[in-house]
Amino acid sequence: MATDIVMPQLGESIAEGTIVKWLVPLGAQVKKDDSLLEVETDKVALDIPSPATGALTEILIQEGETVPVGTLLARLDYHSESGNGDSATSTIQSPVSSGHGHLTISGSPDLLSPAVRDLAAKHQVDLSRITGTGMNGRITKKDILEFLDKQGLAGKESGDSLMGQPASVTPSLEEELIPLSSMRRTIAERMVKSRQTAAHVVTFFEADFTTVEPTRQELHLTYLPFVIKAVTQGIHAFPILNSSWSNKGLILKHSVHIGVAVAVEEGLLVPVVKHADQKDLRQLGQEVADLSQRARSKQLQPEEVQGGTFTITNHGGTGSLFSTPIINQPQIAILGVGAVLRRAVVVNESIEIRPMAYLSLAFDHRVIDGATADQFMLMVKSVLEQPSWEVTS
Amino acid sequence: MTTSAIAHEVTYLEAISQALDEEMSQDERVFLMGEDIGPYGGAFRVTEGFQDKYGEWRVLDTPLAESGIVGAAIGAAMMGLRPVVEMQFADFISCAFDQITEMAAKNHYRWGAEVPLVIRAPFGGGTHGGPFHSVCPEAWFFHTPGLKLVAPSTAYDAKGLLKAAIRDHNPVIYFEHKFLYRRVKEVLPAEDYIVPIGEAEIKRTGSEISVITYGAMVHVALEAAEALDQEGIDMEVVDLRTLSPLDTDTVKDSVRKTGKVIILHEDTKTGGIGGEIAAILAEECFNALDAPIMRIAAPDIPVPYSPPLEDFFLPKAHDVITAARQLAAY
Amino acid sequence: MEISQSEFLHLYYFLKLTRALEERVTTLYRQGRIVGGAYTSHGMEAISVGYASALQADDIIAPFHRDMGAFLVRGITPGEVLAQYLGKRTGPTKGKDGNVHMGDLKRGIIAFVSHLADNLPVATGVALAFKLRGESRIVATNTGDGGTSRGDFHEALNFASVRRLPVVFFCNNNQYAYSTPLHYQMAIKDVVERAKAYAIPGEIVDGNDVASVYLTAQRAFQRARDGGGPTFIECKTMRMHGHSEHDSAKYVPRELLEEWKKKDPILNAERRMKELGYAGEPEFQEIHMRVEREIETAVEFAEQSPLPEGSEALEGVFAANPVEVLI
Ligand SMILES: Cc1ncc(C[n+]2csc(CCOP(=O)(O)OP(=O)(O)O)c2C)c(N)n1
Ligand SMILES: [Mg+2]
Repeated sequence: MATDIVMPQLGESIAEGTIVKWLVPLGAQVKKDDSLLEVETDKVALDIPSPATGALTEILIQEGETVPVGTLLARLDYHSESGNGDSATSTIQSPVSSGHGHLTISGSPDLLSPAVRDLAAKHQVDLSRITGTGMNGRITKKDILEFLDKQGLAGKESGDSLMGQPASVTPSLEEELIPLSSMRRTIAERMVKSRQTAAHVVTFFEADFTTVEPTRQELHLTYLPFVIKAVTQGIHAFPILNSSWSNKGLILKHSVHIGVAVAVEEGLLVPVVKHADQKDLRQLGQEVADLSQRARSKQLQPEEVQGGTFTITNHGGTGSLFSTPIINQPQIAILGVGAVLRRAVVVNESIEIRPMAYLSLAFDHRVIDGATADQFMLMVKSVLEQPSWEVTS
Repeated sequence: MTTSAIAHEVTYLEAISQALDEEMSQDERVFLMGEDIGPYGGAFRVTEGFQDKYGEWRVLDTPLAESGIVGAAIGAAMMGLRPVVEMQFADFISCAFDQITEMAAKNHYRWGAEVPLVIRAPFGGGTHGGPFHSVCPEAWFFHTPGLKLVAPSTAYDAKGLLKAAIRDHNPVIYFEHKFLYRRVKEVLPAEDYIVPIGEAEIKRTGSEISVITYGAMVHVALEAAEALDQEGIDMEVVDLRTLSPLDTDTVKDSVRKTGKVIILHEDTKTGGIGGEIAAILAEECFNALDAPIMRIAAPDIPVPYSPPLEDFFLPKAHDVITAARQLAAY
Repeated sequence: MEISQSEFLHLYYFLKLTRALEERVTTLYRQGRIVGGAYTSHGMEAISVGYASALQADDIIAPFHRDMGAFLVRGITPGEVLAQYLGKRTGPTKGKDGNVHMGDLKRGIIAFVSHLADNLPVATGVALAFKLRGESRIVATNTGDGGTSRGDFHEALNFASVRRLPVVFFCNNNQYAYSTPLHYQMAIKDVVERAKAYAIPGEIVDGNDVASVYLTAQRAFQRARDGGGPTFIECKTMRMHGHSEHDSAKYVPRELLEEWKKKDPILNAERRMKELGYAGEPEFQEIHMRVEREIETAVEFAEQSPLPEGSEALEGVFAANPVEVLI
């Protein structure tokens, strides 16, 4: 039989103790209540008597070490003297019940919280038309907001709408009220929230797509797979771009999932190319084409628009040169790709016509600074301008 | 004297010592009184070495007589000194009750005499101290106009609030939690700072439920908030820090944001500070309330000694989690 | 008046029992099995054993934290004491309080609260009840030298004297109150001086001589019983260890302890009993063995006793109000 020797609590506020000396060598016999070790705390130094007779078979904490009260210090193999298996730890049990957990609140369906009444009154909602989803069928704030959402009449939040208060919800004769789609509402909410959350800064670069051209034509691809490739390599060099902000610290993502903004009829969707860094140009091309096509025909699965770690928006497709995109939260950066246009550029002291595009990186200045963003962009640029692209890259 | 260039973590208890030491060295009006605070350094060793540094008269060992000690400190304070009295345990503050509630608290109101006095009161349970070495007596004094009450939960606040208390022109009872003495620590700023009396602090921001608390329970609330985070319940933790005068603005702002509130304290429930906060919220934030106000506090019994009983008595993270789940589902 | 052989053997047994029990408390504390504070009366046992032994069965005591001997003499068993320390349900407070904070009116013990000297005014009230009802019972109370600085001490002495109440005040003057030496506690040499201000007769006894304490107490108790009013008895002794188990008492000069070690109450008692021819080594040894066995049984009882359930904490805040039927 073994008994545990633990660090005793020597004084009310004492949280830890230091082992000054083991008074019995490892393996030696000790009699019950004979001194076994010397312990020191902030307040006192004391000999600790052995809780049983036996051999000191294991010393887990060495002399000079400081450990919290209750820490296992050593084990004693003992011959039960009187048959009562006394153990130094036997007095303290973990709590099984508590004097407070029994507090309960109940909600009958007709019990509306003041906040719910307030919200309903503000928007003149007929509560009899709402089915409650709260405790026992209570109507909650969320229920009202969703109801309003369906009606397309109010902001998501009660008083302080993210979109600001509409001037008036009853249009005049010269106006027309176009109800908000839920996609519109979501986009609006997310965009405003992102601007309120992140410290947006945008940096612009220009890239030469000359070396991209032959491979692109050979594989029948758009420019986008090349940009994705360049971005994933940039992320490998600067992993911080693939992170998100939290109050406790930065969450660095080990997988690279690139979101690609796709314009659809009602607004915008951002399907995600998972593990983009592990795919070659051909695979990227196919996947982007497939995702965009299904985005337009509303056939994306929920998981296909989730989990992105970095987003690319290809605003150049509509002729735009550069932009100041809004970061897709909780990511920390978004890359805008302008139209690839043939421009006169200076190359080796002569003027040449090259396919050029502006790249705009919006980043969250809370997380990274300009220098890091620019180094990342230089990396993206140099990948795009690499002398020759492998078809299998 | 050389100070280590490497910033080291300072315990809550050391933070209190530092505050006393710094205030004593920069203001010679500050002196200490109490039982066994001299050569012994106090029952918890807060003033260890102080008598060697400041002499017998500024670190004054007193007879065992709390009423006499506080009364004498009030007299000295009115004469322009800044006494800091140590209660060996907050429990014994009851022996000085009338000096605190009648003399210290009412002097300025009646005849304009300032009483810049600090009473340090090591309080709270969780240390198996039993009914007479564990109490949270703040509510007795919360009901007394003219007293300021503070109760820090971190080493940073412990130091900053004690300095603010010593510099204050009013009687301040400084509730220092024994359980936290050697259990919480952090790196403190090298420069002089105070934590202003009367300002609560959001120790964790959240959007769904506000927990209003103070003292050791701040750590219980934070523990619960972390666990609830896993369940997708986003809880805010408001540390009152000062109990009187209450920072009602911070409390109300938090509740207006979340609509749901748990008031948590280690003191017993009936007549505790939680009741007052609940009343303020009902009076001034009624339209923001989205669920019943919940209170979690110790049951209305003395603090029992035996570990299972004391465990039962003290509010736990588990209790907060249970209440928060109900509020989230409400 | 001399003390009889059987009286002395009784006193000696309780000295030994108190010593052995408190030594066990110390051991359990250091093994981490007692989790709260542990205050003992090592070297001061003669005071509590002495005064409690001089009482009659229906008298009352209002003791303080160095009075383990008095608890034992009044019939609290070592098993109950250890159960109390271990927070067990079988302790006198069922786990609600720790160490010597226990009482039982059936055995004539008023439980101590930590707030020193709070027990003294209460003792005068007990005495007042006896006086009002014309009973010949008395009350004995004790406090430390430190406790005599509190207002409650003075309020109690004053009231007891004004009304000649049947109460006897003891003071365990062990020369320290925690770390505070007597000369920082009071400007007088003998605590008994305090009694003069209240016109209470005072006596000083050697607190390490159990026979003296016993005989002095007997006389004072008789006077109180006879309507003579209160007496104040200062028992000079020395605290031989830290204030509690977590105090190493470095502030006490070692020589002082060495000197007092020679005056140990148990050694004193043995010497005196030998002189009187009441007992010798064989008898001492026999009592020693008996005490050791009792303590072993007590430890076993306490350790095997159950801890209370958490919810038992809620019980007993108020007394039940039995319905009183008026006819
Ligand atoms: C009113 C009060 N103040 C402080 C304490 C803390 N305390 C416990 S014992 C003690 C010293 C008591 O000294 P004394 O009365 O001489 O008794 P001793 O412990 O020496 O027997 C102190 C200060 C207390 N219990 N009660
Ligand atoms: Mg004493």
